[in-house]
Amino acid sequence: MTKITLNGRELEVDASKPLIAACDTAGIDVPRYCYHPGLEPVGSCRICQVEVSEGGRPARVMAACRTQVTEGMVVNTEAAGAHDARRECLEFLLKNHPLDCPICDKAGECTLQDYSFQEQQAASRSTEPRATLEKRVDLGEVIMLDQERCILCTRCVRFQEEVTKKPELTNAGLASNSYITTFAGRPLTGNYQGNLADVCPVGALTLKPFRFQARVWNLEKSSSTCAECSRGCSISVEVLRRGDVKRIRPVFNPDVNQWWMCDTGRFSFPEVNDAERLTGGLIASGDDLMGVTTGEAIRHAAGVLASSSKTALLASPFLTVEEAAEVKVLGEAVGAELLFVSPDPNELKDDLLHTGDPCPNRNGLEQAGFKAISPADAATRVTGADAAILVGERILKLLAGNSLGSTKLVTLDTAACLASGVEACISIPFYVEKAGTWINVDGHIGRLTIARPIPASVQPLERSLVELTKSLSRAGASV
Amino acid sequence: MSGFEKYLTSRMTGEDSHTLAAFKKNGGYATLERALKEMQPAEVIEVVKASGLRGRGGAGFPTGLKWTFMPDPAKDPRSRYLAINADESEPGTCKDRIIMDEDPHGLLEGILLACYAMKCEASYIYVRGEYRHQYDRTAAAIVEARAAGLIGKNILGTGFNCEIHMHKGAGAYICGEETGMMESLEGKRGHPRPKPPFPAGFGLWGQPTTVNNVETIFNVPFIVEKGSKWFRTMGSEASPGNFLVGISGNVNKPGVYEAPLGTNAKVLLEADHFAGGVSEGRQLKAWFTGGSSTGMMPGSTVDVAMDHDSVKAAGTMLGTAAMIMLDDTQCVVRAMQIIARFYDHETCGQCSQCREGCQWLHQIFKRIEEGQGREGDIDLLTSIGNGMAPGKTICALADAAAIPAHQMIKHFRADLEEHIRDGGCKINKTGKCAAGHSHDAPATEKAEAQA
Repeated sequence: MTKITLNGRELEVDASKPLIAACDTAGIDVPRYCYHPGLEPVGSCRICQVEVSEGGRPARVMAACRTQVTEGMVVNTEAAGAHDARRECLEFLLKNHPLDCPICDKAGECTLQDYSFQEQQAASRSTEPRATLEKRVDLGEVIMLDQERCILCTRCVRFQEEVTKKPELTNAGLASNSYITTFAGRPLTGNYQGNLADVCPVGALTLKPFRFQARVWNLEKSSSTCAECSRGCSISVEVLRRGDVKRIRPVFNPDVNQWWMCDTGRFSFPEVNDAERLTGGLIASGDDLMGVTTGEAIRHAAGVLASSSKTALLASPFLTVEEAAEVKVLGEAVGAELLFVSPDPNELKDDLLHTGDPCPNRNGLEQAGFKAISPADAATRVTGADAAILVGERILKLLAGNSLGSTKLVTLDTAACLASGVEACISIPFYVEKAGTWINVDGHIGRLTIARPIPASVQPLERSLVELTKSLSRAGASV
Repeated sequence: MSGFEKYLTSRMTGEDSHTLAAFKKNGGYATLERALKEMQPAEVIEVVKASGLRGRGGAGFPTGLKWTFMPDPAKDPRSRYLAINADESEPGTCKDRIIMDEDPHGLLEGILLACYAMKCEASYIYVRGEYRHQYDRTAAAIVEARAAGLIGKNILGTGFNCEIHMHKGAGAYICGEETGMMESLEGKRGHPRPKPPFPAGFGLWGQPTTVNNVETIFNVPFIVEKGSKWFRTMGSEASPGNFLVGISGNVNKPGVYEAPLGTNAKVLLEADHFAGGVSEGRQLKAWFTGGSSTGMMPGSTVDVAMDHDSVKAAGTMLGTAAMIMLDDTQCVVRAMQIIARFYDHETCGQCSQCREGCQWLHQIFKRIEEGQGREGDIDLLTSIGNGMAPGKTICALADAAAIPAHQMIKHFRADLEEHIRDGGCKINKTGKCAAGHSHDAPATEKAEAQA
């Protein structure tokens, strides 16, 4: 550790990291474009100017991302000279910028806007024509590039070089005609393209699925955990006007995902925006299903289970630790073995984040005493019983394609069950609508928070489970 | 006649001066053999250090001192390299060219001596892409020298091993910046590296590397042969030795001349054995002291000793000692516009200030030259230059672009004001320079035209 004086405070900082990292640790905001804590610093944007004095020498304005901290260094991030240098830099950066903020998806979270505002550098003295470059360069399925907005910080290039280690982007051209492009104009590949839009400090790289979907200041952002594999990356679930999830982005978590997430997780939100979701409940009525309240569906389900001599219980790997505790109570009440459906690992496994295991709470369920079972074996358990409880988000999808015979089914899922033996369907919230805990592959806790309200006709799964267990004991007593 | 001893150009006579046979006839490689057999590497460094040789690539850094920055091989077992900067692309500069053309073995001998001194296992010569003839001459010399046992393993039976490789640039000025050059050698885009780390600690492929200019290294065999005392008999106290001066522009005899450092620029311009005076007896309007990046000085200042310190005292830099002379039929604003366009085209585009600033400077000088200048443009130019340099970017290209603009405003403000007031240039109404070349349309202007 090295002692420095930062804005008048004496601090012990890590000398292996550049000065700007020390500023971050101390909670002092220094503007940056090319610097990203997850990438090697290149010192090219020149915005992170701070005033530094070493060994009693006169203070100099230096780029904090390329300055190594030394013992006794005195740093002032708010010196007039530092602000002047940043203002100069901003004027240069904005000289050819199209200033199309009103139609830019980045507006509101763009650091070119933020630092211009912060440093009060809004006016340009340039009257020269602004460069006209390509505004819609299609870089594949995920990313659209606007070369005019690009400030050539090369974070995207370095992300691929250093993180995914599959470089596809490069800085081409020379001088003020430099631009970012892919080699030979080929589309980007891989499962980590969405991070390019995150690392882009301006609106140059935008996510195609998010283009013109929402103004970012209208999004309500909640911290949560990704559902798409057992890594459980920390994420921000971003909801527009209490309705659809418009975007999922990674949140820095040093133990799990650093700054990144995969595209599988990032673009999984259509799953939770399902307009056809089940609300309330459904019960069998002749050959058809009849819409009822959740309470009625629970009572009907209790009746079915009470008359069953052999009941199977199959849980979803998406259950939270808290939900699993209630499922366990129900399982004991019906005398069923505690099983969760565990599909085969998928082909998405990679060296970076994706584990290939589509069960976000495998660890939590196993710790709670649930045993993993393949979808095919699960179906055999169902067909071998009088009745079966299928509980948890996506449980029906996980069993799809397997015959469930004529076993009487009680399902608790976000979708309705259409199998022949279905007796009762009880609606449940999506994982973005509940609070709870998942335990990831390495034992790290991932918290779920309520990112959007549950529809009025849907009630939390724990409550439905408690009510079902209670109803069952009453029904059992009356049989 | 000239009244001074010439050594740099002493072997550049006859049609075959580039061959090994001619070189050996003039005593070539004898110094190398003597050094390998009789001197310790440290002694070679000492001689060069004592000679006071300063780098001829522009910065004038003491060469012997630079060599001592290489880490001790006993403590640092990494590979060690010498990189030769032959990417001679500073406008007006063409001195290294004649060395590679006419005395490539002299360069190779210098490289081998330097590698021996610094214990480098290999040297890379990075040659400007346009120097095809020079590349071929030097490459042929390497083949000859290798066949004669002067390059490769166990050189001259002394156990000293040294490889020399050549690499052609692809026409980027920025690859003449030493770290940009190393990136280019590694097969990457020629984007200069932030310093520190410096090349001696982290150079080519991350190994200790010294980068020297062609002319600098070319001096080494003469110093090792004749000694530092001899070397110091030429030139000035702080800038000893002879140098190659490239004189171009409106002079009677443009060319590359050998002269002792400290020779008066007026002598270089006017003497019959140098440039022979301004063309057709006209007046000197302006001159560049050492390539385009040193900027223009008024013709009246040409009475200055051409060594690092004297030129610096006169308010500019010796640079690569490429003197470009403009007579009074030339428009200095036009000249400035052309230089600004050059830097706009050649900045690597990494640093914000340089990328945008070079373009901005060019756009404004172009407007002024074409009669679209405005009140306030001169102050704006000054301010843009101050935003770019000094020391605000990764490398010195921003400085190289800003200095000519500052010099222009300092020395030729009246010309700029006249252009702004009178709506353009009185000399170049055709959009062509005095030589009749069209100077339109680098890439940025094309982009603007499309807009």
